[in-house]
Amino acid sequence: MMPGFLLLAAALAITTGLVSAPRAPRIWRAAMLAGGALAFTAAIVVLASTVAWDWRAPLAVGGEHWHLRLDGLSAFFLVLVSSFGALGSLYAHEYWSDDEHPVSAPAGRFWWAMLFLAMALILMSANGMHFLIAWEIFAVSGYFLITSERHRVEVREAGWLYLGASHASTLCLFAFFAGLAARTGSWDLGPMRGQSELAPLFWLALLGFGLKAGVFPLHIWLPSAHANAPSHVSAILSGVALKMGIYGLVRFSGWLPPPAAAGWAVAGLGAASAVLGVAFALGQHDLKRLLAYHSVENVGIILMGLGFAMIASTQGQPPAWGRLALAAGLLHVWNHGLFKALLFLAAGSVLHTTHTRIMSRLGGLWRLMPWTTGLFFLAAAAIAGLPPLNGFVSEWLLFLGLFDAMNAGGPAAWAAIPAVVLLGVTGTLALACFVKVCGVVFLGTARSDAAARAREPGWSMRAPMLVLGAGCVAIGLAPALFWPAIQRAMEDWQPAWGAAATSPAPLQALGAFHVVIAGLTALAMFGLWRRVKNNGVSRAVTWDCGYALPTPRMQYTAGSFAAIITEWFASILRPRRRVSLPDGPFPASARLEVHTPETVLESIVVPIAMQAMRLSTAVRRLQHGRLQAYMLYLLAGVVALAALALLGA
Amino acid sequence: MPLALALTVRIGLWLLLAPLLPGVINKVKAVVAGRRGPPLLQLYYDLARLWRKEVVWSTAASPGHVVAPAAAWVALVVAAALLPLGSAGAPLAFRGDALLFVYLLGLARFCTGLAALDTGSAFEGMGAAREVSYAVLSEATVITALLALSAQSGSVSLAGMFGQTAGAGTLLLAAGLFVVLLAENSRVPFDDPNTHLELTMIHEAMVLDHSGPPLAVILHGAALKLLVFAVVLVEAVLPLGRLSPLAAAGALAGSITLVAVGTGLVESLMARLAFRRVPLSLVTAFLFCLFALIVAWRGDA
Repeated sequence: MMPGFLLLAAALAITTGLVSAPRAPRIWRAAMLAGGALAFTAAIVVLASTVAWDWRAPLAVGGEHWHLRLDGLSAFFLVLVSSFGALGSLYAHEYWSDDEHPVSAPAGRFWWAMLFLAMALILMSANGMHFLIAWEIFAVSGYFLITSERHRVEVREAGWLYLGASHASTLCLFAFFAGLAARTGSWDLGPMRGQSELAPLFWLALLGFGLKAGVFPLHIWLPSAHANAPSHVSAILSGVALKMGIYGLVRFSGWLPPPAAAGWAVAGLGAASAVLGVAFALGQHDLKRLLAYHSVENVGIILMGLGFAMIASTQGQPPAWGRLALAAGLLHVWNHGLFKALLFLAAGSVLHTTHTRIMSRLGGLWRLMPWTTGLFFLAAAAIAGLPPLNGFVSEWLLFLGLFDAMNAGGPAAWAAIPAVVLLGVTGTLALACFVKVCGVVFLGTARSDAAARAREPGWSMRAPMLVLGAGCVAIGLAPALFWPAIQRAMEDWQPAWGAAATSPAPLQALGAFHVVIAGLTALAMFGLWRRVKNNGVSRAVTWDCGYALPTPRMQYTAGSFAAIITEWFASILRPRRRVSLPDGPFPASARLEVHTPETVLESIVVPIAMQAMRLSTAVRRLQHGRLQAYMLYLLAGVVALAALALLGA
Repeated sequence: MPLALALTVRIGLWLLLAPLLPGVINKVKAVVAGRRGPPLLQLYYDLARLWRKEVVWSTAASPGHVVAPAAAWVALVVAAALLPLGSAGAPLAFRGDALLFVYLLGLARFCTGLAALDTGSAFEGMGAAREVSYAVLSEATVITALLALSAQSGSVSLAGMFGQTAGAGTLLLAAGLFVVLLAENSRVPFDDPNTHLELTMIHEAMVLDHSGPPLAVILHGAALKLLVFAVVLVEAVLPLGRLSPLAAAGALAGSITLVAVGTGLVESLMARLAFRRVPLSLVTAFLFCLFALIVAWRGDA
């Protein structure tokens, strides 16, 4: 009964937040922190116990009894939702203050609480209809948060695209849940692996949830929405809201009998998202857009894990490599939530003080913003999958699962080999991308006045970042501590997967290595620092091949840094170049601009939409408001029906 | 404390012997060119001198100029400590350490790349961009080689993969890994360690603004990395673990010297590749390892 009370209290707190959002920011903040803490505790209680919390209300909503359930898998995701729901509200206090945003700050507070509530309800709904209602509230509150600055045209466009994509996703899910209800005769959700006639419905779920998760060809709405939202909103959308799509996929791949090809499709989509997501990220100039593309990459890594787990689940007794893959996917859900939210918050701190997201206008921020710089670098190392941080732990689990899958032989080995290589390539590409971002934004010297005047944000913005950074370090240094939670979530994915209590991977050994690496690094830094101080330091200008006075504009740019790799992917990225070459013996000006657009949107979706529009316009000519013509249509219709009836008889 | 003792001796050997390898390569190059060349121990002298020197930093340099070289060096040392050595095996082995090894090399690259961007110099930016871009291909090659070794031995640990078995694809693997060794350690034909043209450098361009003890750490780390790749190459090819301890140690030392001599010969006899050819040759190395993988994986079936 314990989680029930906690969740009730959390619900009360969030309701208080909803009510107090417009007028009383302090009460709202306290309510969000309390609600987050209570829901977090409830999730931990469920993860630590062996039973799920299950509650049927006597109250009927839409003709169906309200049925909530918090089992291991939903609790695993609720940990993420609740912790970020609370942390983000703290960050918003300074970042999106009432003074600077008198209209959108109160509205944003309301929709933030709504989003939090809707996500928690999605995770707990055990009834298809209520799941859909929560899903719709979730999508709509996301829209209002994204369009906080709706006086800007690009924000409105991003919001419109998000709304369209969200509703396409909702539509698929409508069809999915309706199909499920029609075939099972009830809206109740639960394990139904025995009913093989439900298998084809999984494709609808893949489309609907995949759209929301930002899987590669369906990610078109994601970069602009995440780039144009306020940064704490970007962080919750990218770190947490995308995971609702992942939750749906994990949930229904466990409950439904998946079609034979589903695992392969999910793993394939995952690999495509991972590699292409990071390739697109490399081509970006906008810091937040770049981070948004990295969400596509990380969702891909999660789906690779899930896909291989699904392939494994088709083989009677689940093999150990399948458990490794699923554990990797699940742990990466947490990890991506932690480091991506941290990256967006740190990018938000930069944006807040410099008012620009364009990387080539930044530079040299480490001197003015040491905390933000340090935390951004930490998260960058984590997202690049480097030891001793959390990103490496989940990628390592996935690698281990894939290596084992190859050595186990069978059809899965064919998929495992390319998956290993692509995962490795993804890792190195992400590393290249984050060397670029960290170097261009935070190191070197300031490329604009705005960057030269940057200053560190206050503690209410720093504290959430510190908590997220501590989470990255904790999972990195003590991964074995988190295994029981993953194990618990796997149990509720499919009961057969909870059989073994111990981890199939030597997480303790890895954790010990991570601690040793961290300790040795600290020691080496200290030693080298002392040696340098001892020998003495003098300063000189940067060596730029003999220039006596290097200017900030001589620094390497983000575009040049990524140029080698973006050229390899040019056939997919289709970067747009605008070149005017220097001309004549005394050239006055020359110019080179390279811009990587959202290619899937611009070369595939928009042309198809334009065709559809043209077709609809042609059809619209039939409707022009002339009564005589309508009567002619009626007459023609009646004649046609009569002819049909006569011929039919 | 036999484990602690064994580890200390092993890491001590790695640290002590690493700077010897560039000396051997330079000696070979000198002999081929008909010069007397620098002494074999030149790098030791250089390191000792740099360690005592004052540091000159760019005005733009951050504390990362100390932090990054130290972190990169530790990553390389731990990576080296993970490798099994002949019949002595790997005392720290655990399942999946092969991937920790690969990612530690990545961590070192992350740190050196960032330290290069720290001064805002265009040349160092260029060097870092090349380093991280070409690493995409060379790391894919290393991972494929590890897959081949894993398929061959059925193990996911370096101790099982290295020095235990030799398969039919050994020659392919050797060719692929040798190319990676040249590319990752900035040797000819990918980079010229003696070049004086900033525009064309990779690794050397990244350290233009380093000096004093941090530069010593970077140079020692680079020598260590070269030795790591040489050991990987030798042990991927020769089943040293099956020999008696003495024979294994002798064979390991002999083969590493052979790799160094080979590198020196390549450097004397080949010109540098144009930059646009670099990805092509790395893809060739990747294909070598991929074929080795296919041979190891489907060969028995």
